[in-house]
Formats: sequence, structure tokens, C-alpha cells
Amino acid sequence: MANYLAQFPDHQVLLRPHRRRCMFSYNWFPFATVEDVSDLWLNVKESFERRLPVKKACLNNKARNPVFVENLPAEFIQTTDSRLRSRFPQEQYLFWFREPYATVVLVTCEDLDEFKTILKPRLKLIVQNDEREWFIVFVSKAHPSNDQATKMAKKVYARLEADFNTKKRERCCKFDLHGPDAEFWDDFDSKMVDCIRNTLDRRVQFYEEEIRRLSEQRFTPIWNFCNFFILKHSSHFYLQESLAFMFEMSNLHEDSLREYDELELCYSESVNSPGKHREFGGLDAGDDQAALLNPGFKALTQIVQDDVFREFEFRQYIFACQAKLLFKLSRPTEVAARGYAFVVAFSKTLALHEFMRLAYLIGYGAEIEKSPINSASLSMLPWPKPATWPSIPPDSSSEIMAKEKMILQAKSREKLFNIHRKPLPLEPSLLLREANRRRAFLSVGNISELYDTADGSGLDGNSKLSPNRSTSSFIARTMSEGWEELLADVLPDLAECQKILSDEAGYLASCVKLLSLDSSLFSLKERQAFQSEVVRLAHSEMKHLVPLDVSSLITFAGNAGPPLELCDGDPGTLSVAVWSGFPDDIMLESLSLRLSASSTADEGRNIISFDIPPQKPGSYVLGALTGQIGKLSFRSHGFSQDGPVETDEFMSFEKPTRPVLKVRKPRALVDITPAVSSALLMNELQWIGLIVKPIDYSLKGGILHIDAGAELKIEESQMIEIENYRSDMEHSCSADSPIEAERVEKIPIENGKIKLPDWASDVTTLVWFPVRAIDNTIARGETPASPQKQSIVDGMRMIALKLEFGVFHNQVFESSAYCTSLHEHLVNAYVHMHVFLVPMGSRYWTGTMGTMIDDLHVILCSEVKASLHTKDMWLDLQSGFEHLGKGDGRPASNLFPLVVAPSSKAGILFIIRLSGTTDSDELENTDSILNVKYGISGDRTTGAHSPVPVNTGDSEELMFKIALKLKRPVLDPCLAVGFLPFSTDCLRVGQLVNMKWRVERLKSHEDASISGDEILYQIDANPQNWMIAGRKCGHISLSNAHGSRMEITVTCVPLVSGYVHPPQLGLPEVGEAKQTSGPERRTATLAPASLASGGMKASGGCVELMGTRKGSYLFIESQTRVAAARSPP
Amino acid sequence: MIVCVAVVGHQNNPLYLQSFTEADDALKLHHIVHCSLDVIDERVNNPKRSAPTLNETFLGLLYPTENYKVYGYLTNTKVKFIMVTTDIDVKDADARNFFRKFHAAYVDAVSNPFHVPGKKIASRSFGSRVSTIVKSFGAGTTV
Repeated sequence: MANYLAQFPDHQVLLRPHRRRCMFSYNWFPFATVEDVSDLWLNVKESFERRLPVKKACLNNKARNPVFVENLPAEFIQTTDSRLRSRFPQEQYLFWFREPYATVVLVTCEDLDEFKTILKPRLKLIVQNDEREWFIVFVSKAHPSNDQATKMAKKVYARLEADFNTKKRERCCKFDLHGPDAEFWDDFDSKMVDCIRNTLDRRVQFYEEEIRRLSEQRFTPIWNFCNFFILKHSSHFYLQESLAFMFEMSNLHEDSLREYDELELCYSESVNSPGKHREFGGLDAGDDQAALLNPGFKALTQIVQDDVFREFEFRQYIFACQAKLLFKLSRPTEVAARGYAFVVAFSKTLALHEFMRLAYLIGYGAEIEKSPINSASLSMLPWPKPATWPSIPPDSSSEIMAKEKMILQAKSREKLFNIHRKPLPLEPSLLLREANRRRAFLSVGNISELYDTADGSGLDGNSKLSPNRSTSSFIARTMSEGWEELLADVLPDLAECQKILSDEAGYLASCVKLLSLDSSLFSLKERQAFQSEVVRLAHSEMKHLVPLDVSSLITFAGNAGPPLELCDGDPGTLSVAVWSGFPDDIMLESLSLRLSASSTADEGRNIISFDIPPQKPGSYVLGALTGQIGKLSFRSHGFSQDGPVETDEFMSFEKPTRPVLKVRKPRALVDITPAVSSALLMNELQWIGLIVKPIDYSLKGGILHIDAGAELKIEESQMIEIENYRSDMEHSCSADSPIEAERVEKIPIENGKIKLPDWASDVTTLVWFPVRAIDNTIARGETPASPQKQSIVDGMRMIALKLEFGVFHNQVFESSAYCTSLHEHLVNAYVHMHVFLVPMGSRYWTGTMGTMIDDLHVILCSEVKASLHTKDMWLDLQSGFEHLGKGDGRPASNLFPLVVAPSSKAGILFIIRLSGTTDSDELENTDSILNVKYGISGDRTTGAHSPVPVNTGDSEELMFKIALKLKRPVLDPCLAVGFLPFSTDCLRVGQLVNMKWRVERLKSHEDASISGDEILYQIDANPQNWMIAGRKCGHISLSNAHGSRMEITVTCVPLVSGYVHPPQLGLPEVGEAKQTSGPERRTATLAPASLASGGMKASGGCVELMGTRKGSYLFIESQTRVAAARSPP
Repeated sequence: MIVCVAVVGHQNNPLYLQSFTEADDALKLHHIVHCSLDVIDERVNNPKRSAPTLNETFLGLLYPTENYKVYGYLTNTKVKFIMVTTDIDVKDADARNFFRKFHAAYVDAVSNPFHVPGKKIASRSFGSRVSTIVKSFGAGTTV
């Protein structure tokens, strides 16, 4: 039989020598022969071939439906071509599809006679063969300028058309050698496509009929596939493949594929029919790695010729052809689906033959597992094992023994990082798993489901990465679920794969995962290898920054203990424990920490401090740790376990994470109040106490700036004292408990700054610092009659305080809020220190000229909360006054020391008299000075105290000087003003009352400066107390005669009840005259009967003026009560 | 002979994994168990195939390998029991029976107040009970 085939020349060689391994050539295009009647081909060849491939050819498929083929490859060959020549008649119809699809007859003729006699018969001969599709191209050589030649060519062409065109079909077209027009080419193309289509249709029809005929024969007993395939050249198979091939050539891939499908069906029917079984498996080298997609894998023709063709090879060939077409049709998914079905189906066949096992034992050993097809196929094997193993050649037992021994001794293949492990068994390999995955939801042959699932998954074009991906998913499952040992075995494979694919990120992630596996799974050396890989990649190879999650390897947690507490706006330093899972030290080039706000509000361990910028108020847990190694930016998430990583607390993941940082909302952090609210000594160094009370916030490293304003000086030579402070309440509470040692520390003050000691950072402290209030003015005594309503503000001094504090040293934490609050406190902290002595009862003598003796009451009033020890006291009198008895004015020495208790008064009486010589100017300008030498015994915690000794040896005695202005009595009265008693007994609010004054001239008017008898008077009353219903001022005429008197009456209404000053009568002109004329003092006229008794009684007609003016009050009842003018209490 | 039994939690975390072979093939058996989880997942997630056996805990033969057969069982709490056997001819009833006993043992073990759910079963008595069940499996088939 083979010989029969061999008698044919090797058409493969004939067609495409370099393709001889294939059954058919794949570059064989439909072509058109050129019957070059007039030796024109060389002239037109170039322009003809430029039209190839044929564009937009409309062909018919097997179902006679038109199909448009965009580019139909074609080729022009001459009829003299050797390829057409050497056909044997037997072969012709089998390889009919190779016959030219169209015949182009190239003719030219310039003479009608020549056409008739020579050309026409010849053409008739050429076209008489019905088998061919032909058309005639008439080539006109006539130049367009040559009218005659053109005309002739037209005539000949018209004749040609008349002869060869039929009604059904035009077969002629005219080609102008000198500039063919576009119409020609369209014409040409359409004729060409017509020819090809017709030829194709005819041949398809022929093949189909032939196939049908043969198929009917197929089930006759004498038929078998071998015969079918080999012996009968006109066999079904070849025909079918010819047909398929023809379609393929025509770019009708769909049809071609259909033919191959039919062919496969036909094959499987025939192969299952009883009869001679072919050899099944391959025995050649490489057969165990079946190249499923390679149709040219085996020289099938040769095998067919040699009659050694095997089932597997043939199946593989058909599958490869189908796959090739499907790829051409851009349907790779279908390839996979068919491949799957193919593998499943083939596995069944394999189970029958078990050649793989044999190959495993005899031929290829452990290496067989590297073939995916084998593994997949084996996994498809139905259970149980075949009942009978295929027979092994009898002489091979020793060989098998040797092989088995070799396999057992065979080293497991080396993996990446030099990890030595036993290989996992062949069957549950990755591919097995994948295959099972699909089989789990796919019944065999249920391809459509595969399409559905395949669209988005690994079956798409990106087949290169898909094993990588599936392994990754496998590993994702294996990770962190207790399958570490398994992972340790598989992960190096993935890493290797990723390395090969230069998937840097994936490779690094694998390395990190390997490192994060339980350290017992790998040796230290291996782990070091992983690390060095990471470091090497990080520093060298990567072009871009590669992110990497190292959460499993670098973990971190806040330190134990309470969270760091910061206030809003505080920067801080957070200490974080970072565990490194790297076996060796690793250089982390940068580390940064992200905090995530919480909703509620050795190898290994390293404590790293992070500077935290000011955070918003809230509670924080550790978020993510990021850092960099070379170009590798790693990131570790805080699924924070509090403990080290190796705790396999499965439930511990659900533990709430512990906050490491709390940032409070803005609030007062410190309160500073003055310790003392009492007055202090003026001009003496006194302690001022400030209570510094931290409010749940450390003042560690705080710096207190004290800026004393004007008139207040901080004595920097003195040390500041800081002591524990406990309020009275605390004192009382802790009375039973053992008293804490009071801590007092002296610290210097520099430039108004105090650095708070550390021990004082969390407790309430009392800061004592010495200040001296400076007042260079001398205190002036005051009389009760004219109290110098001294504003409390006058004695106040202001201190500006600023406390800089924060969590850490050298960190300035300033907040305007605190500054303002401190300023507010400063107002309170202001030091009021004033001691004043009140001269009282400076009685101004009324009376006539002469040396008067009077007593001067001096009342010492301590306004400080300390007792004063008056040790000495003397009064330096101004000129015009002198002490009685020529003494120095000191009280009797046995009076001293005179102790004045806090807020009490003591009185001292000096007896003075007027001295003879008086100069009124001198009298006006000098003061008497009261000197008091005293000591003070007080506690600085309550108020004034003995001054801080600046220098040792400073006496504790203090001097207090106060100026008193003594006024000489009125010596020369000339007018007396008297207040007459009221007509009514009581003054009531709202009731009119007549006020009467009497002015009396005490002596005759001598002074010319006082003009005549007209005297201006003026009523002065506080309008809030009195309403004057009458003239407030006016002139009265008073005769110059001694004793002349005049009454002035003014009606008033008291407006308020209580003690009020009565309205006053003044004589302003008299007063002014006094100033201009000098010694005359007429305003101060006193009646002999004074107000001493309290009631205002006009005995003698005159009322004491001076006292009334300033010191007397009228009592006004709102009810019925006798009104009385009374002295103040 | 049963070579390996495993209890796998609902998050596919191994709770108990015990092999009964002399050879050092624990890892291989782990691998087989792990692979079978995929099959279980597929079965559970594709109820089309398991429609008639909706309430069936016994999953039957998960897949055969070259030398083993893998059977599965899924409790209502999605805890998986996996059994790997070398027996060629296993009756479904036997496997079902085995799993029922195994399940009872597991329930007893996790009912222990000192057992933390979701953690590996460390109970020694559970181990010995499982060994007994495994040993009786072969015996059961002969009876």
C-alpha cells in the first residue's frame, strides 16, 4: 500500500519544499494562470500583480451564502509554470483545489484579419475546456496620440467582445498599455473574483458529492480508516481535508474549521469501529510533551507513507489544525475549551493505554512531571487504576529496577534560594487543582460554561501570567490560615516564576511572605537569602519605586502604658515598638508613621521615636508604618496585635486596638493665681506668690516669664523660691495623713525668666519672687475731713506673666489663650502695697490772735495684714509750729513699742503750738513730716511681711514718713457766715426747706480791695442730692460797719434720704480777694459755738464753716424724723 | 486505609490535621487536603450540581488522585471534614458513616468549655477518638 502511495511524486516537495513536514502547504493561495497568448505578460506583470491580494472578494461558503473576504491572497502564474506541468492525471482531482482558480488570457492584436485567422481559433481552443474559469484581457498597445492605431484596437476589441461575450457573462476587458483607466481595474477585479467564486463553488460541490459517496461506503465491512486514509487517495479524509484546506486558502476559516470538525467526528467514528487498532502512543523523544498546538509536530505524511501512523499523533494533528484556525479567527477561548475537552477525552483514552506510566518508568523518570499535559491528563484518570497494566517487555525488568532506583535517588530539583525539598506528588499539583476546579462545575463537554467563566479569567490572551496568577490566588488562600508548611513549599515556586517574569513587586511580596512564615520552616541561611534578595532588588534593579506590603514582617505597636496625651496644637514624640521579622539587621532608610483616628474615642523589637506634628483633637491608634529601603517603599499596616507576631491567637485580630495617643480639645492647661490678695509694703522688697496649678498637664520644662512693669522691680539678685502648694482645703483634708515633706527649691531668675524644676511640673506650686514696688512720692497724710479718695488702682502694680511649656524640653508651646488668661490673672496678681498713716483731728483753731496750743491726733492705721511694731515716732514740724515743751516731738518712750494689729488703728497725740515768727509763704510751702520707725511681723502667705534682706546686716527696721500739712488757724476773720437752724424739725425728701445763712461783718472794712458793700454769694450743692429752688448766687449789700449782718435764704428740696452734705454758702469774691491781697482769711469764719456736739445749733448766730463745708452731713429722713446735721461716725 | 483526616474551619483554616501513615508524607497529605477545599468551595458555590442533595452534609468523593481518594463532609456551620483514603473500593455508606462518627467526635470536642472556637483542636481525647474511628473504618467495610 505504501508503495502505491510512493509511486506518486512527492507533491509536497513539488509545492513547497520547506514545508514538507506538513500535510499541506499553508501558503498556497488561489491563483490565476495567465495564458500569455501574445507574449505580453512581462509588460503587464507588474501592474497586474499590484492588484494583489484581491480586495473585497465576495465568495460563497459551503452553504452557498455570500461571504466577503477582505483580502484574498492570490498569485499569478503562467500556464507554462512548472508547478502546473507535473500533475499526474490520478492526482488531479484530489489536488484539484490546487488547480488555478481563474485563467486570464492575455491577447493583443492590431489587425482584424490576424484576429480572425490566427487569434480567434486559438482562443477558442483555450477556452473550450469547461473546467476552467477564464476571461480575456485585450491589451491595447496603441498610443493615445496614434489615432489610427487606437481606432484599430477598438475595432479588434469590439470583435473580440462579440465573439466571446455571452449574454450571461462578459468575459472580455480591455487594457490600455499606455495609461489604463480606473474602470479597467474594477472590471478586471470583478471578473477575477467571479472566476474564483465560480471555481470554488464548483469544486466544493464536487468534493461534497464525493464525500457523501465515500461516507456511505464507510460502514461497509471492508472499510477501515487506514484504508480510508491511506489506500484510497480519493478517500473521504483527504477529500475532506482538501476541502477544509481549500476553504482555508480562500480565507474562509469558518468553513475550514467546520470541515476539520467533521473530519474529527469522522475519525472518532471510524477509530471506535471494530477492526484493527492503531498503535496508540508515541515512542519518540518528545512524545510525552505533546505539542498540542503544533500541526507540524510530526511529519504525518511520512508516517502515513510508512504506515506507522499513531492514533495520538493523528488526534493531535487534527486538534492542532483546529486550534490554528481558531486562533486565526481570534477565538482563543474556544481553543482552551476544545483543549479542555480534548484533554478530558484523551485522558480516557490514556487510561486504556497507560503508556504514560510506562514512559514514566522506562523513559523519562521524574522529569515527566514537568510536562503540564501529562499532569493534567493523569489527573483526569478515572478511578480506579486500570485493572491490568500494559505489558512490559519481558527483558525490561532490570531496566525498570534501575530506573526506579534512579528516581528514588534522584535529587529533588533545586528551587530558588537553594531550598531543598521533596517534590510534592505528581497528582495534586497545581494543574490538578485547576483541572479539578473546572471539573467541579463543568461536566465533560459542557463547553459553553467554560466560555462564560473564561471571559474574565486566566484564559484570555494574557496566558503568560496566568499560572502566576493562579498560583498567587492559591497562595492567597494559603496565607495566614495555618497552611504555612504548605506555603513554604509552594511559595518558592511562585517566587521563581515571578522572578522569571520579572514581576518585581510580586517577587518582593513573595520574598516578604517567605520571610514572614514561621522561622522554623526555613533555615537561617535560607531566610538570609530571602532578605538579601529583597535588599538587592531594593537597591539595584528596580527602575521605579515599588510599593510593598510588609505588614506580616514589620509590625509595630505602641508602648505599654497609658497613651501619650497631647493637647491640641502640641507636637510630640511618640515611642513605637517596631518588630522586624528580618533575620538580619536591615537598614531602613526612612520610616514614617501614620496615625489613624480611632472611632471611639530583639531580633525584632526596636523602640523608635517619631516626632508627631500637631494633631487634631481625638484619640489615635497606630495606623500604617511606611518606610523605604532603596527604591522599595514598604508599608506595614496596623492590624495591630499588641503582642509579638508569633502568637497564633486566632481571635486576637478582633481585639480593639489600643490608643497610643490622645489629643485633647483646647482647654485651660494651667491656672496661675496670686497667692496673696493683701497689700504689701511699698518701697520694700516683698515676696509675691503665684500659685501655678497645672490642670492635668505636665509643665515639664516650662519657662515662666515675669515682666514687671514700671514702678515695680524684680530683684534678680534674689533667688526665686518654689514650694509645694496645698490649699487650705487640702490641708484640712490631709490632716490625718502624714504630712508630706514640704519641698522648697530656690532657683535663679534671669532676665525675668524662671525655669520650672521638673518636680514642679505636675504639682501645684507656689512661686515666690521678690519685687519692690517703687514710689518716690512721699505719702501724704489725710484728714477725715478731707479723705483723699485714693483709687485702689493708684497703688496697683501690674506684672505680665507668660508661661511657656509643653511636653518636652526646648519645645516652646505658646498659646495666646494662656497668655491672655495669664494677663487676666495678672490684674489680680497686682501688688497692692500701701501703708498709710492718717493724721486726724488736725484741729484748726478758731479764735483770736495769740499763741494757741493744740493737740495733733495721729492715727496709725495698718492696711496690711501684718502687725506693725512701732518703735519710734517723731514729728518734724513745719515752721510756724513747734512742739510744746521744746522737745523733739517724741511721745514718751514708754509708749514704744506700740503694736498695731492688722487692720486696726492706733492713735498718738502730739501737742503743738504756733510759733511766733510766721511767714505766710513759708507756711504754705512746707510740710510737717511724721516719721515712724517700725518693724513688721507678717507672713508672706497672708500679706505684708518683713522685707527681704538684700544685704546681710540690713536692719529690719523700717522707716515710714508721711507729710502733713498743718494750717495755721484763722487769725484775722472779718466776715462770719452762720447757718441758721431750720424752721422745721425734720427734713424730708421732697419737702421744701428754707435754708438760711447769716453773714456778719466782724470788723469794719478797711481793705480797699474788697469792693464796697456788695458781696457775692454762691450756693453750692450736689445736684444729685439737692434741688435748689431759687437763686444760686447773687449779691448782698452789707454795710462796712462792724457788726452789720445779713440773712440769705434759699429754698431747697432734698432728693435723697440719708446723710448728705447740706448746700454750702460761699463767698467767692472774698476768697479771691484773699488770694490776691494776701493775709486776709475771711472765709474761714467760725462761730464760737461749734458743731462739736453733732447737732447743728446756731448758738451765737454763727455756724462753724469749715467743718460744715466738708465734714458735716445732714440727715434726711424719708419718714418723719428729726433731721439733724451730724458729724460722720 | 485512611491516611489522613482533617477538620477545616469555615474560613478554611485548618483546625485539625492528622495523618495516619508511617511515611513522611504529611506535607503531601496537607496539600491534598488543601486542594480538596477548592473542590468543596466549587460544589458549595455551584448549587446546580448539588441541587438534589441540598441538605446533604456528605459531599461524597471530592476527587481521586493517583493513589488516594478524597471524601468530604460539610457541616451546617461550614466546618469541613476531609478524609483521604487509599482504599480503592469505598462504599458511600461507609464513608457517610465514618463522617457521622467523626462529626460527633468533633461536636464533643468543641463543646468542651475550654475549647476556643476557631482555634486548633488540641484535645488529646479527640485525637484518640478519631484514631479509633479511623481504625474501625477498615473494619467496618469488612463487616
